[in-house]
Amino acid sequence: QVQKLRVAGNLLATGLILQHKEQPFFENLSKISGLNVEVDYKPMDALGIKDTEGLRTLRSGLFDIVSLRLAQVSRDEPFVLGLDLVGLNPDYETTRKVLAAYREPFDKRLQDRFKAKLLALWPFGPQVLFCKPEIKGLADLKGLKVRVYDQSLAKFIEQLGGIPVTLAFGETQQALQRGVVDCAITGASSANSAGWPEVTEYFMPIGFQAAIQAYAINLDTWNKMTPDQQQKLTAAFGKLEQDIFDYSKELFDDALRCNVGKEPCTTVKKYAMKEVPVSPADQALVRDAVGKVSFPAWAEVCEKSYKGCGDVWKAALGGIAGVK
Amino acid sequence: MAISTITIGFLVALATLLFSVPVAVTLAAAGLIGGLAMIGAPMVQSLGSVVWGVQNENSLTAIPLFILLGELLLRTGLADRMYGSLAAWVGRLPGGLMHTNIASCALFAATCGSSVATSATIGTVALPTMRERGYPMGPTLGSLAAGGTLGILIPPSVAMLVYGSITNNSVGKLFIAGVIPGILLSLLFMAWIMLDSLRRNGTARAEQPIPLAEKIRQSRHLLPPFAIFGVVMGSIYAGIATPTESAALGVLMALVLAAMAGSMSWKALNHAFRNTASLTGMIALIIAAAFILNVTLNALDVPQMLSRAVTSIGVTPTTFILLLIVFYVILGMFLEVLSMQVTTIPIVYPIAMALGIDPIWFGVFIVLMSEIALITPPVGMNLYVVQGVRTDGGPIGDVISGIWPYVIMLILFTLLMWFVPEIVTWLPEKMS
Amino acid sequence: MFIALSLIVVGETVARKLFSFSLQGADELGGYILAVGSGLAFTIAFVERAHIRIDLIQALLPATARALLDWVSVVSMAALALLLAYVGWLVVDETIEFRSNAPTPWATPLIYPQGIWYATLVIFALVALAAAVRATWMLLRGRSAQMVAEFGPKSAQDELAAELEDLNKR
Ligand code: NA
Ligand code: NA
Repeated sequence: QVQKLRVAGNLLATGLILQHKEQPFFENLSKISGLNVEVDYKPMDALGIKDTEGLRTLRSGLFDIVSLRLAQVSRDEPFVLGLDLVGLNPDYETTRKVLAAYREPFDKRLQDRFKAKLLALWPFGPQVLFCKPEIKGLADLKGLKVRVYDQSLAKFIEQLGGIPVTLAFGETQQALQRGVVDCAITGASSANSAGWPEVTEYFMPIGFQAAIQAYAINLDTWNKMTPDQQQKLTAAFGKLEQDIFDYSKELFDDALRCNVGKEPCTTVKKYAMKEVPVSPADQALVRDAVGKVSFPAWAEVCEKSYKGCGDVWKAALGGIAGVK
Repeated sequence: MAISTITIGFLVALATLLFSVPVAVTLAAAGLIGGLAMIGAPMVQSLGSVVWGVQNENSLTAIPLFILLGELLLRTGLADRMYGSLAAWVGRLPGGLMHTNIASCALFAATCGSSVATSATIGTVALPTMRERGYPMGPTLGSLAAGGTLGILIPPSVAMLVYGSITNNSVGKLFIAGVIPGILLSLLFMAWIMLDSLRRNGTARAEQPIPLAEKIRQSRHLLPPFAIFGVVMGSIYAGIATPTESAALGVLMALVLAAMAGSMSWKALNHAFRNTASLTGMIALIIAAAFILNVTLNALDVPQMLSRAVTSIGVTPTTFILLLIVFYVILGMFLEVLSMQVTTIPIVYPIAMALGIDPIWFGVFIVLMSEIALITPPVGMNLYVVQGVRTDGGPIGDVISGIWPYVIMLILFTLLMWFVPEIVTWLPEKMS
Repeated sequence: MFIALSLIVVGETVARKLFSFSLQGADELGGYILAVGSGLAFTIAFVERAHIRIDLIQALLPATARALLDWVSVVSMAALALLLAYVGWLVVDETIEFRSNAPTPWATPLIYPQGIWYATLVIFALVALAAAVRATWMLLRGRSAQMVAEFGPKSAQDELAAELEDLNKR
């Protein structure tokens, strides 16, 4: 018979990826997967549920499938943020390796603690730097106020001598305009859609983090399915993951061109920001941050709720990140 | 689920409300019962997160602060002294002190969100003098009740904070959007008073002229409210402060001004805090209950379904707004405003958005509908307040007879706003 | 408490504007203060009978029926308060189990603010429950007048009387 699935999607403001990939996928899930399912899909905020509650609503069974915003749900499980430490994902190639290597421990943790199974992992894309005052490299962030969104990034900015300021994404454009912050970090495409290039002049395409998201399914729902159905669902999500990954990269490359006024520019608005070239030294600075700042800080928090998680992380990602 | 089921649910909830069951209880019960029936146990599991989410919501911090600001001005007497100063300036117009009523309410509204306190304070100061000088009772009481409703249109406004939190819109923009309609509506009210007084010919009144020097001397009492309004709205408009920050600034200014005027006592402060806590508790519980209901409504697809139904039968935005005006005027007769807002906004807002109506404009529209609800019998808070402060023992029919012109003006003004939306949208657009 | 909230918020605004210095997380702290403050305010509003009821029809009914509606109101409010305390416990229980930390630079262990918040919900539940027991006792003893006096809706008249009394004192 028809199986009903309640799905909590990413936030409405997520924009292009939600409109063009996530929403169509869930609305056509029965056609795409060949499963006899009826999907009730809604962005999580449209339901009046906060994104920090993702893991809890998944465990309680309020939703069958939940789009997990890792930075937010790390409130209840810091381990999930281990795949998005500052410096770990400088580009899409590395991110692909990181996701592949972390998938298994991530899934195991979800199953042990949250009665949930991982279905897919994907990145919004490199989180890049927008500044109002002129900068030539990361060293110039010294003394500047920089909008950040999580603890790991705040620590890194502090290390550079900058002043981290936490602001919600929606408040950042105005904060830049009125000088509450000098610089801000987010995805290249979403910053463009939110009009950041109107209020900043310098654009530095260096990837601090990758803003990774996940889809997971409640284990009770999963276990009710036959192995054949499970396989079909897994295949559908595998394809979605690949699809979003490519689209995310396409959006990122396009936004890089649009922000600085280059052609072709097709997905977002064209601006004429000045591009700050990423020097090898700055690249190394960000990459080294994993071992120096972000991993130790993260591991300290993570160990409190998950003994031995530092070693699990090292076994999976130590090689890629160059952390022993 | 069919539209008929929803309608039945809505009517049952309405009946429960009318039988004096606390509003918060009715909303939460509707949410819980609907959720349990359709989703089951996980619904209960998630309620705690919803309640914590509402109470921990930073943008709602502005509500207690703005209530406290109004309370401080009231309890320390800064508000009542304003009346005399304004009387000196506008008393000469035909209609005399009735203009002062409107102007005082508007100015007081600029610092506070409570219409009960506004109407009660201004009414108590105004009524004895006006009765002595033979002002007709109906129009006088009407001007007081209607003037009080400006409290939720002219920012700061708790009604707008509630709308902003339910619909996720910028409260700063909503506040700024209320300024021009607030001023225009005050002027419209005053124009009507002038016309009406001239029409009554014999009773067209104006106060005695007052020397300019005296006017200026009197005006010092206008400084505190103007200064506070200037700082609160100015900081929001200039983008220096969020609504919460500007409210905090206003509270500190009010404390300093009251201390300077020597009118601050522990008793007044204590009273202000107690009232603030009590009002905050009432509002927060209703909002929490409304969010519980909201989760159920959305999980059951109710707003989406209604909005599909409305758009599919080809209702134009204009027809929709006209229908909503009728709906709100009728509902507003029986419901208290906060209850009316939290029960209807989650349902009508998605429809309005589907029809392409501007979300900020729609917020101001909801506020105007709430103003009407405040002064329409049988449930109209401001009517009872004004009736209560009068000392001549006349029937409440006097108040009701004086209120109709204002209800009609509010409806006409809403229509004007629909055809000239720039009244609302121009100022907030200039802001960013 | 609200004054403290204003001071913190103003301090943060001024500091951010003038000294380009940021008290990381004034927003976060403000949110916690609101959670605890509004939780306490539930009880204060309950004691002051400020939770809104629409007494349009009730006012027209005979005394016994009015008392019955007041009883329904108190008991249903107690039921809501108990429900809040119960679902609040579910949240706190998970927070303890997951050792949740706020996803902010402060990484506040959530149990601190949520623990205090939960205590305010328990106070509300206890006070409302006590009132419900008292109201039930009155109902069984047939003390309608006392019920209306203690638990009846606070009418616009009552509120006004309080306002006027205050005004006369100034
Ligand atoms: Na106001
Ligand atoms: Na009414």
